Amino acid sequence: MTGRRGIVLLLCAMPGVAACRDTPKARAAELQKIAAARKQDLALRLATVDANSDKAMPLAMWIMPAQLREISGLALTSRGTVLTHDDNSGRVSEIDPKTGILVKSFSLVGNQKEDFEAIAIAGNDIYLMASDGKLFRFREGSDGQQVQFILFDTGLRKQCEFESLTYEADSTRLVMACKRILDKQAPKDLVIYRMPLPLNRATFTLLHVPLQQVVGSNKWKGFRPSDMTIDPFTRNYVIIASHEKGLLVLTPDGDVVRSEPLPGDHQQPEGVAITRDSILLISDEANVKPAAITLYKWREQ
Amino acid sequence: MPVLREIIDVVTMRSDRPVRRLVAYYAIVAVVVAILAYFFPGEIARIAAKGLGDVPEGPTVLTDALASSPTASVSFGPGTLLDVTLTTVLILIGALVLILPVTWVYMSARPSGGQHNQNVVQTLIILPMVVAGIVFIVQNSLALAFSLAGVVGAVRFRTTLRDSRDLVYIFLSSVVGFAAGVQSLAVGAVISVVFNFVLIITWHYDYGRNMLMPTAAAQWSRPLQALASPTGDHQIPDRDLVLSLTPENAAALADRFKRVQKAVGSKKKKPRFDSILTITTDAVPEAQGRIEEVLERMTKRWSLDEIVTNVGKPSEIYYLMRTKKTIPRDVLLTAIHENAAGFIATVDLETSAPVEKKKKDEKNDGVTA
Repeated sequence: MTGRRGIVLLLCAMPGVAACRDTPKARAAELQKIAAARKQDLALRLATVDANSDKAMPLAMWIMPAQLREISGLALTSRGTVLTHDDNSGRVSEIDPKTGILVKSFSLVGNQKEDFEAIAIAGNDIYLMASDGKLFRFREGSDGQQVQFILFDTGLRKQCEFESLTYEADSTRLVMACKRILDKQAPKDLVIYRMPLPLNRATFTLLHVPLQQVVGSNKWKGFRPSDMTIDPFTRNYVIIASHEKGLLVLTPDGDVVRSEPLPGDHQQPEGVAITRDSILLISDEANVKPAAITLYKWREQ
Repeated sequence: MPVLREIIDVVTMRSDRPVRRLVAYYAIVAVVVAILAYFFPGEIARIAAKGLGDVPEGPTVLTDALASSPTASVSFGPGTLLDVTLTTVLILIGALVLILPVTWVYMSARPSGGQHNQNVVQTLIILPMVVAGIVFIVQNSLALAFSLAGVVGAVRFRTTLRDSRDLVYIFLSSVVGFAAGVQSLAVGAVISVVFNFVLIITWHYDYGRNMLMPTAAAQWSRPLQALASPTGDHQIPDRDLVLSLTPENAAALADRFKRVQKAVGSKKKKPRFDSILTITTDAVPEAQGRIEEVLERMTKRWSLDEIVTNVGKPSEIYYLMRTKKTIPRDVLLTAIHENAAGFIATVDLETSAPVEKKKKDEKNDGVTA
């Protein structure tokens, strides 16, 4: 180690060697500086939004890197960061929404290629859901790691196409809203599957919400959920729909609290999460605009 | 390159054996990589095993689109301009380092008398770097991959390779390029090492040689016989054989014809020699002395035709000779084996007697019919 340090010091003595400034310690210090400045900015913007009471005013918009071009689901960690993933690959990234720092990325072993649509965290387990209802269960990995997973097939591929998944901690169950009902004879209601943990097909329950109640006074022709989350204050289901650019708040019993257009201007909203300090996060896939996570003040009415 | 050659010379104690030189080269590369990995573990892991996962990316500061002066995304792992440039340079150097020994093997391990194609050698060096560059750009982008297919589709490659083995080298070159492009040079290194050693070994032992197939000397015996025919029927030698000759081969063959014709004598005379003795040996002077003792005793006359010295595989000695009718072929070969035991690898005697016999038989058949 001494020899290594000696050579590094020797190199750093040479003028113009930029690598010397690029040490892990220097990087950490630089990151801390940026994070502190951004937190300060966010606090200022929050104060402005509170003063204006403008719900549609974004607090921040973090532009995603290339590997998250098709960003999809969002899931809040206990640390206040969010886990997100790309639509096509089983690669999970952790982002601090308050500082806009992509902390780390890890992937499922074997670089799984699926149509991944949503992510949820249940205790120490992370669930990544494919559009055909398959669930990949795994533990959080370190930066660059490939993690082992267990695959669970819900067997719902013939019933629904899915894009949303969340974990309801109170009842320890996963909740999945059906984006498109594949059975043409079935009524066009909003269908929500609830799956208690540990997963067992026999214990799945269904919640039907009439479409008329979901649409309410909006001019939507339907409601195709693209992601859902649990309101940390009311425990209500908060569901967004990419096609309708709509937001729906439901009680766990299926009563519609409100349905309204999403705040701001979103091209293709694919993920939603609400932090414990009342910040609504919405992720957008790259379309005309680049992929991004936008932050809003969350106000429960 | 002279420096590298000098280092390899020192390590191999100036041995010309290809296996030793290859081992020395890979050992030097391994030591250099180990040193670099000690001082720059992240960088080496990134180019050697990124495609295999388990490579940290480091935190990235994302751009805030709402900031009054939005800054570009700052990556604290790979992704900055410097990192991308450095990674590109490293993968290109890595590809070059892995393909260099392949070109040496390509140039050395040729079938006896065969010559390598310089164009292929240069292609082997350039191809992996081009492929690595393409793959590095295209990585994870379907749109770029389609664009590339369009561009490449416009450039047509229609080159016929003379030797099908050249194609394998080209494939290997592409594989090394791919490995470098997806930043998995560790895989490329293993493939390169295994390929080179397997190839050297198969070449050294002449693996897969069909025992029923005539040797190079036997292939030449027919045209030689036709040219030196005592009856004077100057039939055209095997057409395919002639067409497959390069100008260099044709010149060498012509030279050999001249020498043989001189040895055989002019037309309408009984040929001076009727057999070609082919010996392979690692100890040419010792084997030569022992064999010539036997030839002196057991043949009517003999003449040393050619000695082909090979590096890394046994050398070849060719004798022209006229056998004694009283000494059968097997007896002669046994005597050579006994006298030169331990000095020769193989011995083969090709004689024109069967051909003459066949001709006589054909003549008799014609008369009978």
